[in-house]
Amino acid sequence: MMMISKGGERRCRRTITGLVTLIASQVLVATALLTVPVATAVGASAEEDAKCLKCHSRNLKKSLEDGSTLSLHIPGEAFADSVHSKIGCTGCHRDVTTGKHPSREPIDSKRTYAIEQNQVCRKCHMKLFKQYSGSIHATLVAEGHPDAPLCSDCHSAHTVEAVALYDPVTGQPCKDCHEEIYDAYSQSVHGMARADGNVIRAAHIQAPICADCHEAHEVSTVSATEGLQATCLSCHDGAAQAHADWLPNAKMHLNTISCAACHSPTAERRIDLQIFDKLTKIPIADGGENELALRQQIRAGEATGEGLDPVELWNLVRQTSQEGGVTEIILRGRMEVTSGVEAHRLTLKASATRDCESCHQGGSTSFENVTVSINRASGQRERFAADSKVLSSVASIDTLRDFYAPGGTRIRLLDWLLIVTVIGAAAIPIGHFALGRYLRKKARADEVRPSNKLEK
Amino acid sequence: MRTTATSNTKESPYLHTLPVRVWHWINAICFVLLILTGLQIRYLDVFNVMSFEAAVNLHNWTGFVVIAAWFLWLFSYLFSDRITNYHPDLNARSFFERFIHQIEYYSYGMFKGEEKPHQVQPYDKFNPMQKLTYQVVMFIACPIIFVTGLMMWDVSMFAGSIELLGGIRVVNTIHVLLFIVFTGFIIVHAYMGSLGQKPSSHFKEMFTGYEEEHAESPKP
Repeated sequence: MMMISKGGERRCRRTITGLVTLIASQVLVATALLTVPVATAVGASAEEDAKCLKCHSRNLKKSLEDGSTLSLHIPGEAFADSVHSKIGCTGCHRDVTTGKHPSREPIDSKRTYAIEQNQVCRKCHMKLFKQYSGSIHATLVAEGHPDAPLCSDCHSAHTVEAVALYDPVTGQPCKDCHEEIYDAYSQSVHGMARADGNVIRAAHIQAPICADCHEAHEVSTVSATEGLQATCLSCHDGAAQAHADWLPNAKMHLNTISCAACHSPTAERRIDLQIFDKLTKIPIADGGENELALRQQIRAGEATGEGLDPVELWNLVRQTSQEGGVTEIILRGRMEVTSGVEAHRLTLKASATRDCESCHQGGSTSFENVTVSINRASGQRERFAADSKVLSSVASIDTLRDFYAPGGTRIRLLDWLLIVTVIGAAAIPIGHFALGRYLRKKARADEVRPSNKLEK
Repeated sequence: MRTTATSNTKESPYLHTLPVRVWHWINAICFVLLILTGLQIRYLDVFNVMSFEAAVNLHNWTGFVVIAAWFLWLFSYLFSDRITNYHPDLNARSFFERFIHQIEYYSYGMFKGEEKPHQVQPYDKFNPMQKLTYQVVMFIACPIIFVTGLMMWDVSMFAGSIELLGGIRVVNTIHVLLFIVFTGFIIVHAYMGSLGQKPSSHFKEMFTGYEEEHAESPKP
C-alpha cells in the first residue's frame, strides 16, 4: 500500500504540475499571440481562413511526383474546433500570402511533404520538438522508416487536439501503430485498472498509460535501455524492499532480470547478452568503424551455424582485447521477455512468478533462447542468435563473467569433474581394502609355503 | 592443560583438545550439510529433496556456522602451543622422504604389520601426509571456499571484489571446484579415519581426545 501511495503522490504532483504548466503555457501562447507576428494572423484569421477554405473546403487534390495524389481538403468545422484555429492557416503555412501560393511547386511524395511540414511545429513548440527529436520515433524517421510517426500522425494535421488527447479506453493514438501491444496492455493490471475507474485501489492513483512509461514526446523503448527497472520503481518505489524481504540477492536479481520476466508470468523468456564498452561501461551503439567491424564479426560467427557458439563468442570478446582490434567489449547478460507484446501483459503481483525453480535448474526453458545484441541509434537493439550452450560452457567463464544462475546455467564440465572425483574418491577405499586383503592373503600364503617345503 | 591420562594399560597421549574436538564435529556435520545442500542447489533437475529456496537458506546458514567454527579452530591453535602441529617442516628433503615412507606404509607396510613411520605425539600428531593435506585444507582451501561463498551470498555487497576476481562466473567456478575437492576429501578422510587399530579407534579419539591405540593396545 505504501509502495503505491508514494508513487501516487508523485503522480498527483506530476498531474498538478502538468496542469499548472498547461495553464501557464496557454497564458504564454495567448500573450505570444498578441505580441509576435503570428498574432497578426489571429486577428485576421477568420477572414483569411475563410479565404483559404473557400477553395480548400472543396475536394481539391494535388498530383505528386511519385504519382500519388495529395488531398488538399480541409474540414473547416473541425479546424475551427482545433487548438490551432486561433493562429489560423498562415500560422503554420507561413509561405502562403495573398500574392503567393505554392500550388505550382512540385512535391515528391506525401511522406516528403509531411517530413518537411513537420519542422513547422518546431517554431512554436521548441521544447517538445527537442524531446521528440531524441525519441525513437524521430530516429526511425531519420533512418527512413516509412511508417515512423511525425507530429501530425499523433496530433493530426488540421484537427490538432489539446494536451489530454490520449484516450485510455481506445488507446489512440498509440494503438494506431502498436495495436497488439495496446491490446496486451489493456488486459494487463495497468490497463484494466485504467479502464475500471482509472484508479488503483482506493488511493486515487492513476494507472499508467503509454506515456507514463515511454514518455509522450521523448518516446523510448523502455526495455532497450537499463531504464525499465527505474521506470517501474518510479511508481513502485517500495518494490525493491519488498523483493529484498524474500528474494536472496534481490538487488542483483532486479538488475539482471526485467520486471516483466516474472510479472508477465506466461511470457516466453530470453537471455540477451548486450555488448558494452569495457572501458566506459556504456552500451556499444550504432555508428563508427569499431561498431561496424564488431557487427561484421558477429555476423560471420552467426553465419557458421545456429548462432554464435561458446568458442565463437569467446573469440569475439578476445579479439576486441587484442591490439588493433575494435573497442574492447564485455557482455552483460539480462533476462527479458521475447516480445514487446508480452512485456505489456503485466499481472497482479500475486500471480507473478515466484518459484526459484523456474530458472534455477538445469534444462530450464528460461535459458533456451539466447541472443547477442548491439544498441541501434534508435534505442532498439539489433539481435544476433546465439547457441544456448554459451550459458553453460566452460569457454564462457570469462565471456559471460557477470551472468550466472546457480543450477540453471551451471558449467557442464564441472558436472563430469564431480562424477570423476566421487568415483575416484570411492575407488580409494575399495582399492585399498582390496589391496589389503590381497597382501594379507599373500603374506599368509608365504608363511605357509616354507613349512610345506620343509615337509617335502 | 593435561596432556596425558592414565588408563588400564598405559598413559594415553591427549591429542585433541576440547575446542578442536568441538570444531571438528561441527565442521564434519556442516560440511556434509553443505555438500548435500550444494548438490541440491546445483542439481535440482536431478533430485528434489527440498526446494531451491530452502536449500539456499540452509546452505547459507550452515556456511556461516562453518566459518565461525573455523575461527574457533584458528584461535584455539593460535593461542595454544599445539600450533606446532601445523608448523611446516622447513627441511623439504626430509619431509619429502618421510612423505614417501608414509605412502609406502599405507600402500603395503600396514598390511604386512610394519610399524608406523610416524609416532603420534600431542605436539606432532600429524604424519607428513596429514600435515600437508591439513595445511592446504585449513589455510588455503577453507578460506577460499568461505570467501567465494560469502561473495555469492550477497553479490551486490561484494561486487567490487567479484569484479576483481574476474566476475561471478569465476567466483562460482572456484567455489564449485573446491566443493568437488571437499566432496572427494571427505570420502577419503572418513575411510582413512577407519584405518586405526580398530575401525572405530580414530573416531573415538575425536570424541575423547585421547589416543585410542595407545590405551587399547600398548606396544610391547
